Amino acid sequence: MTLVKLDMVSRIYHSKSIDFPALEEVSFSVETGEFISIAGPSGSGKTTLLNIIGCLDALSSGSYVLDSDNIGTRKSNELADIRRFKIGFIFQTFNLIPVMTAFENVEFPLLLTGKMNGPERRATVEEILADVGLKDLMHRRPFEMSGGQQQRVAIARALVKKPRLVLADEPTANLDSRTGKEILDLMLRLNQKTDSTFIFSTHDQMVMDCARRLLKLKDGRIESDQVRR
Amino acid sequence: MKMLIKLAYRNVFRYKRRTLITFLTISLGLAMLIITVCLIDGADKQGITNLIDSQVSHFKICRKDYFEKKDDLPLNLTIKEPERIHNLLKNVPAVMESESRIIFNGSLIKGMDELPCQGVAIEPGRDMRILNIRRSLIEGTWLEDDESKVLVGKNLAKDIGLAVGDIITLRLITSSGDEDLTWNALDVEIKGIFDSGNPNVDRQYVMMPLGLARSGLGLGAEATEILVRLKTDARNDRTLTKIQGQIEEALKPDTQGLGAFSWKESAALILAVSKEKRRQNALVILITLFIAAMGIINTMLMAVFERTREIGMLAALGLRKAEIKKLFVLEGSIIGIFGSLVGCILGGLGGWYYETYGFRLASMGESGDKIIGAFAPVKDIFYGDLSFEILVSTFLLGVFISIISSFYPASKATRLNPIEALKHI
Repeated sequence: MTLVKLDMVSRIYHSKSIDFPALEEVSFSVETGEFISIAGPSGSGKTTLLNIIGCLDALSSGSYVLDSDNIGTRKSNELADIRRFKIGFIFQTFNLIPVMTAFENVEFPLLLTGKMNGPERRATVEEILADVGLKDLMHRRPFEMSGGQQQRVAIARALVKKPRLVLADEPTANLDSRTGKEILDLMLRLNQKTDSTFIFSTHDQMVMDCARRLLKLKDGRIESDQVRR
Repeated sequence: MKMLIKLAYRNVFRYKRRTLITFLTISLGLAMLIITVCLIDGADKQGITNLIDSQVSHFKICRKDYFEKKDDLPLNLTIKEPERIHNLLKNVPAVMESESRIIFNGSLIKGMDELPCQGVAIEPGRDMRILNIRRSLIEGTWLEDDESKVLVGKNLAKDIGLAVGDIITLRLITSSGDEDLTWNALDVEIKGIFDSGNPNVDRQYVMMPLGLARSGLGLGAEATEILVRLKTDARNDRTLTKIQGQIEEALKPDTQGLGAFSWKESAALILAVSKEKRRQNALVILITLFIAAMGIINTMLMAVFERTREIGMLAALGLRKAEIKKLFVLEGSIIGIFGSLVGCILGGLGGWYYETYGFRLASMGESGDKIIGAFAPVKDIFYGDLSFEILVSTFLLGVFISIISSFYPASKATRLNPIEALKHI
């Protein structure tokens, strides 16, 4: 089933004197459960593409359909609701809430969706924290954890609400290679377990090698789209 | 909502020092506000009590034309038959006692020194049931009818150096208004010194029996005014108007051109000063609230700036703009609620202290009496008047200002573009 469908999507940023096209006529689709890497050098449009798919940025032209929903016509609050229910984000700099424990950070999206009662929520959070190997550290605050541990919390936070789509912007960029590999393995494992679709941007060869599909961008356009194995 | 409150609460204590400074600004500002209002209310309340108990009583009956020129103390506009008025007043149930008086300008002469004063001739037997001068005698004894002795206020006695038993010359000005100045002089003995707490009385009054003043001023059985004491302490307009009507009704058979004037009318100037003082106090309140509001706006703007990336993250997680706004307004409100609460506790304690132990004007230096005395007839010490309403209204005001002040920074947070916010370093 097609989860993401972009058709001739362009994104042009306007500054005082010039118009800068960050994305130009990008078209591709993603099926449910895929594990895709978007690669390309800095300035190739990876983050812009991820922001558009994540409903954080608007299109300049073209159309974007997420889970049969035409995103281009949605208003700010509707986009917030789509992010709340359907999309999980993993950031390069983890972006955990510093005043909350690992447990509370992971619980936060569930509180936003409001779909579970207390005991259900607690069980779900503990299960996902066990999946990422952090059950013993769930009462620690972010500053009491290593970068790798924080990224695991961020992954758990992205997946806890069982989103249709998980977007990760250079998730291993701030980690050493061994921790980066562990994080990738974890994401792969959770991709298989949860059937969530993963799209992540990277320019790290090791990360690209892990992806089952590699979409390469150059100067805001798709240079290649390879499916592996 | 519960989640936002929890998050807001923790964020407030995230930057402890900054929060503490804002918190103290609000707390100390509101505490000062409560104490100031408590002292002003106390000074007003005590001033009015002093005025009624030592100077004007509840009502003054005099000729209407006399009341218009009362500042000149005219001696030619007297009540000719005051005893008849006293008899008529007995028909008014609210009246406890009435007393004839003559007020005149004069001066005290001791050796080469002369000080202006206000002569106040009273009926000693009746006066002690109307005013508090007898109760406030600090030296000597109370007056008897028809004796050539006087009582003076503590401050006047100090200014000219008088003691009980001294013989002094009292100059009685017998002319009034534009008339050529005429006077009479009497040698009198100081029989007592009083300290009523009313600076106007203690600095100016020389009190004597009515008979002595009548002979000295060349008056018959006349009086310039009749003071009326009520059975209950009448302070509000409704009661005063009602009793004023009853007195005027009682005087109808023999009006002699007289009118009944409440203490509020007699003290119109003091009340006007008090009103002006409250207006100035409102300015102080506004400045205090402005400072508190600036503190909150500054703290919240810093929070928005420092947490820009976090705001982007919250938007990415699906928080709507209204929810982000609510989060920051909640943070400002929490600072406001705690700050106002502590401010009210501190202000309440300060107010309680001044209500119990009083505010000594000497603590303001030698001129303390004069500074405060210019606003309210109090001296030496006065007591605060702390009410529960002040505490509640100050608390609500503090919380309200905090909420209002948080809106601008909160709106700024919602205007952030999530993508730009996520890039913020």
